[in-house]
Amino acid sequence: MTYMMLLCLVGLVAGLISVASNPSPFFAALGLVVAAGMGCGVLAGHGGSFLSLVLFLIYLGGMLVVFAYSAALAAEPYPEGWGNRYVAVLVVAYVVSVGVAFWMFRGEWYEFSWVPVNELSEFSVIWGDTGGVALMYSSGSSMLVISVWVLLLTLFVVLELTRGLSRGALRAV
Amino acid sequence: MTPAHFAFSSTFMLGLSGLAFYRTHLLSALICLEGMMLSLFIALSLWALQLDSTSFSAAPMLLLAFSACEASAGLALLVATARTHGTDRLQSLNLLQC
Repeated sequence: MTYMMLLCLVGLVAGLISVASNPSPFFAALGLVVAAGMGCGVLAGHGGSFLSLVLFLIYLGGMLVVFAYSAALAAEPYPEGWGNRYVAVLVVAYVVSVGVAFWMFRGEWYEFSWVPVNELSEFSVIWGDTGGVALMYSSGSSMLVISVWVLLLTLFVVLELTRGLSRGALRAV
Repeated sequence: MTPAHFAFSSTFMLGLSGLAFYRTHLLSALICLEGMMLSLFIALSLWALQLDSTSFSAAPMLLLAFSACEASAGLALLVATARTHGTDRLQSLNLLQC
């Protein structure tokens, strides 16, 4: 289990390195998919199966589909992968900087075991994170209402930004 | 510092440095922002899970809602720039000011 969790953590950092090293947006979206999948593994290993499921369904299922569509909108004829020299230099630089940060914290590591939620799991019917998320509907309801209004405001912002089919250079989009 | 703390801290810093340096496309900057939001989601979830404070685990859900707002506004800006400039390169946004 420890090796699986370490693999997920290393994959998370490697996914963000592949995003941050400035490849073309196709490859950057692929790196973000890898990072989100590894993050799901990390959360599931810590006992937060509901949060992991939410991350998988909402993040991978909803937002990355939109990002893939937008990458197709902003397509370019010669995409730069990680084999490109300019990108590969950046990958090496980020890997070295993460390694230096790892080396700087070398004396301060503790707690290699994974502390799970659900200390009192024999008394409870549902998992801890599921019950915590359900609090959003009772005592956290004002924050829920605020986020609903924010989402509605975002709808009007998006409609206003993409308004005007008769203006602009590209009419088909 | 546990390895999980190191992992999400370094992913946040990597996303931030990737956003700050070397951007050619607007979409790359948005993807870096998404990576930062992913690391923040994992950080808040690990806070709730490791400290066994289950009532805090509603916070990453609200963060995910706000990050969806941010992503949709950014992609609307991307569509608007692709419509007016034909591309999403930041250089052409600098060159062809509207």
